Amino acid sequence: MKQVTEAFAHHKELFKSVVDHLPVGVFCKDADDNFRFIIWNQCNADITGIPASEALGKTDFDLFPTEIAEKFRADDIRAMEENREVEIPSEDVRNDTDNRVIFHTRKVALLGPAGKRRYLLGISEDITARHVAEEKLSEANAQLRATQDQMIQLEKLESVGRLAAGVAHEVKNPLALILMGVEYLSEDISPNDENIPVIVEEMRAAVHRADKIVRGLVDFSSERQLDLQLVSVNTVLEHVLMMVRHELTKSSITVEKEFDPELPAIKVDNTKYEQVLVNLLMNAIHAMQSGPRYGRLCIRTRAGVAADQIHDDGLRTGSRLRRGEPVIITEIEDNGCGIPQEVLNSIFDPFYTTKPTGMGTGLGLTVVKKIVEIHQGQIDVRSNHSGGTTVTLTFKQAS
Amino acid sequence: MEHEEHRRILLIDDEVGFTKLLKMNLERQGSYLVRILNDPLIALDNIAAYRPHLIILDMVMPGVDGGELSAKIRQHPEFGEVPIIFLTALVGKKDGSENSVSQHGDRVLVAKPVDLPVLLKVIESELY
Repeated sequence: MKQVTEAFAHHKELFKSVVDHLPVGVFCKDADDNFRFIIWNQCNADITGIPASEALGKTDFDLFPTEIAEKFRADDIRAMEENREVEIPSEDVRNDTDNRVIFHTRKVALLGPAGKRRYLLGISEDITARHVAEEKLSEANAQLRATQDQMIQLEKLESVGRLAAGVAHEVKNPLALILMGVEYLSEDISPNDENIPVIVEEMRAAVHRADKIVRGLVDFSSERQLDLQLVSVNTVLEHVLMMVRHELTKSSITVEKEFDPELPAIKVDNTKYEQVLVNLLMNAIHAMQSGPRYGRLCIRTRAGVAADQIHDDGLRTGSRLRRGEPVIITEIEDNGCGIPQEVLNSIFDPFYTTKPTGMGTGLGLTVVKKIVEIHQGQIDVRSNHSGGTTVTLTFKQAS
Repeated sequence: MEHEEHRRILLIDDEVGFTKLLKMNLERQGSYLVRILNDPLIALDNIAAYRPHLIILDMVMPGVDGGELSAKIRQHPEFGEVPIIFLTALVGKKDGSENSVSQHGDRVLVAKPVDLPVLLKVIESELY
């Protein structure tokens, strides 16, 4: 009898040890005793932060906030009543959004000595890390999709604009020729045929009608789909600096403003223009967060004239910046980590990013460049010898 | 036959057919002589040789930007003052006034297809 008792005691120890070594949280509650804990393994202690000595003999209401304990209890009762495994795919076990712990738990009723359902066995896995990763991934996906949609929109705007300009040019030249012919013939009409003046007049009207259609097409082109308005660069910069103020303060970045107070206006789509500035400022802030020095952001505005002709052989529009044309120049200079020469060549390429996975889509500067281009502006990025980067935006002055 | 009263116009545009017909129309007025230049790359030499009273210049030509070319003409010590009328096929409803002429700074732009009576009026006002 003594041997049997010893063996039983040994088995109980062994059973406890096995349960403690399981890589998942295991607990058991006695439903006949107000769901008090009678088993609480080591892993469960690790993932909840509550040792077995504190948990055994207590109920969920002793250990967790009421709201969470009520949820646990409801699941317990369901498992007891339904006589099948109840699965709770993601259980938030703390009422703390900054410090969440998420469990995947399965609960099942076990029989007591009388053959009646009495115990509630629970098995919990801590899936916090996986859950957070999944959330981040889906956030990054949503951001990527939004930026891609925007890129496609911008591409469309630009290609419609190019197409319209190209068609206008190619169609208007033959129209111009026909009209010159009609003009010439209309001066020398034979008096014997009264139909000729009618024919010439009809031809002239037809040319004007075709011209009107082409003009309508140009009006539908990119520039006209932008919501263009007169904008003060200084005012927009102040507004955008307000938008990123939190980031600037958080990273202890000082801002120096050298704004020309007499700056003439530019004509842009304000929402898109703001987007360009926010993007560039955020890039500068990120560069300074990883830079070695105290962040110093210098923003300058001035009026000037366009220096270099932008050359694009594939484009036959007369509306790019011309040398000598009055422009507004905005410089955003940071003293951050700078951009290595080999990286500079790729910064506007789609999906090019040096940020860690999940931090950037690699489309920010691509979108920036596209927006600047559909406004016939220019963007230049250069890395300073002393570290840091200067971005120069050039937009036409509004006439 | 060049007479004293004839005004020389240099027409710079790569569109061969259009320039031919525009020349016929202008010369028929009786008071203009028109020289056509379909290759804008040799414009400066031609201006020096022809000494036009007026230049009609297409804004968009392959390889040459009308705006840039006009800037070069403007800088020339001998013929920098010659009036220039720009032709452009890139005009929407918004850009051109009703009769297809618009003023951009000191530039007079006439939209293609060119309305002959309108162009004649602009030529007269630029010449005299």
